[in-house]
Amino acid sequence: MKAVRWVFIAAYLLVAAVPLVWLFVTSIKYDIDVTAEKVKWIPNPATPKNAPTVTFPPTVGQSWLLLNDKAYAQTEFPLIHYFINSLIVAFVSTLASVALGTSCAYGFSRFKIAGDKDWLFFILSTRFLPPLAVVVPILIMYRTLNLTDTMFGLILLYTVFNLSLAVWLMKGFIDEIPKAYEEAALVDGYSWMQAFWKIIVPQAATGMAVTAVFCLISAWNEFGFALILNNSQKAMTAPVIFKYFLGRTTGVPWALLAAGALLYAVPIIIFTVIVRKHILRGMTFGTIKQ
Amino acid sequence: MDQGPRKVPSFFLLKYGFVGPALVLLVAFNIFPLFSNIYFSFTDAESDLSGMKGVGGENYGTVFNKPMYGEAMRTTAVFTVVVVAVELVLGFCLALCLRDSFRGRDVVLTALLIPMMLCPLVVSLFWKLILNSNFGLFYLTLRDGLGMQDPPAILERSPLVAVMIVDIWMWTPFMMLIALAGLNSIPKYIYEAAEIDRAGRWTVFLRITLPMCAPILLLAVLLRTTDALKQFDLVMALVGENLSQTQTLSVLLYQRAIASQKVGEGAAYGFVILVAVIALSTLFTRYIDYIQRKQGKS
Repeated sequence: MKAVRWVFIAAYLLVAAVPLVWLFVTSIKYDIDVTAEKVKWIPNPATPKNAPTVTFPPTVGQSWLLLNDKAYAQTEFPLIHYFINSLIVAFVSTLASVALGTSCAYGFSRFKIAGDKDWLFFILSTRFLPPLAVVVPILIMYRTLNLTDTMFGLILLYTVFNLSLAVWLMKGFIDEIPKAYEEAALVDGYSWMQAFWKIIVPQAATGMAVTAVFCLISAWNEFGFALILNNSQKAMTAPVIFKYFLGRTTGVPWALLAAGALLYAVPIIIFTVIVRKHILRGMTFGTIKQ
Repeated sequence: MDQGPRKVPSFFLLKYGFVGPALVLLVAFNIFPLFSNIYFSFTDAESDLSGMKGVGGENYGTVFNKPMYGEAMRTTAVFTVVVVAVELVLGFCLALCLRDSFRGRDVVLTALLIPMMLCPLVVSLFWKLILNSNFGLFYLTLRDGLGMQDPPAILERSPLVAVMIVDIWMWTPFMMLIALAGLNSIPKYIYEAAEIDRAGRWTVFLRITLPMCAPILLLAVLLRTTDALKQFDLVMALVGENLSQTQTLSVLLYQRAIASQKVGEGAAYGFVILVAVIALSTLFTRYIDYIQRKQGKS
């Protein structure tokens, strides 16, 4: 029984890890070696013999440096440009989501709001609203307001998109803070706003950080709306440029893409390790507590 | 609810100041598009809205009569059933394996979480490198390593299976995680009682473990189902929008309403899907309510 267990775990870990390792191996190869009909786990540093006059990347491992080179990728900007766009969009929208979500969650947690049950149900249901039921009007709305092809448009959309998650997660965290803390502060002459800033915000800081990580990851990874609303390479986020490369029939710069993909995955891996204790809560809207 | 000093008039401003901005944004980006979507669905709108006119229920007729819409629904249903079932079984087995603590358990658990957090586009990218039938790792390993004559070119011959494989790779850990939470919530004394009664291993599994995990597993299934029904990213990245075999609901909508600019038709289609999904979501939210009430009691 024990052996079966270990074999199963080991097999699964292997299947889970091999793609990432292979991605790394690919990222340090020559493109011509990537598409060779032979499995090579260790890249050959020698320049391939029958290579075309210009072999990319010029030396093994150099695809990582080419991330900042637009000529090789044949895009308007170097790959790193799209990563920076993703970074800006993800960070700004996360800040907005967490701020709005925390204040909204506090309101629902501490005050009697007319129809609060219905509002909370509505907030939750927006998360399950299939994007395809709203994507067409949002596209038209964005065209009318000139928000297509802008980073601001994406930031606004991701903020709202993550808001339902932020409200639900933060409500869970704030509900856990004893009301006696604020009541004591109010008795001491604090106003509600002061109580919110000086009692709730510090107490809920962990919760806000966890919520922020989830918002960050979902904004960082979002693809569908970015594809539809954002077609100018100036404001394009990284997932859309990956799709652009994958859609090419020839001339896919595999080594560069592998390096880019790995670079794009690294922050997510780090964040996953940081919030591992809260992942279940985040993925199930705080309905299951660990 | 609190018994605070809520009768003060300025209180009204204060509390709606807290909840207001978020609610306004959510309404603006959900309710408003929802209604304009219904409006567009009765018009012949194309990407350029000028000259758009009402066409009555024509778009709905198209949606229900054109075979591609029915096909997309079938593709999505097959996809959803297969991936959710496989993920459930694999995830539950993994959870059973990882249930007892051992050295390095935390590391294994953390490592297993990573796939589902990665960007689907990144995931598709390296799976394309692996499944490719010219230079893919999987293909070449089967051919050269295991000496298979004609290994399956999954990505080309059965692209839907390729999408399923990647989805299962990404989301099995999610099932595992929820199943693990379910397993951990079973009180120890029940097992001790079973031991005293000399219940066999299978009996314990079938009569205690499985039924006690069932509610939380159902929650996981519902969550995964609503997600799988929306499948878009993996199909777009691995196959693209034009192959009818892999056109899920979202991909077909993208192809019709965005790529082919049939806004009115797309809107009608979106609305039909919405009605179908609302039923499922209602089930889900009711269920969450039930779980929370149960949690509150215990």
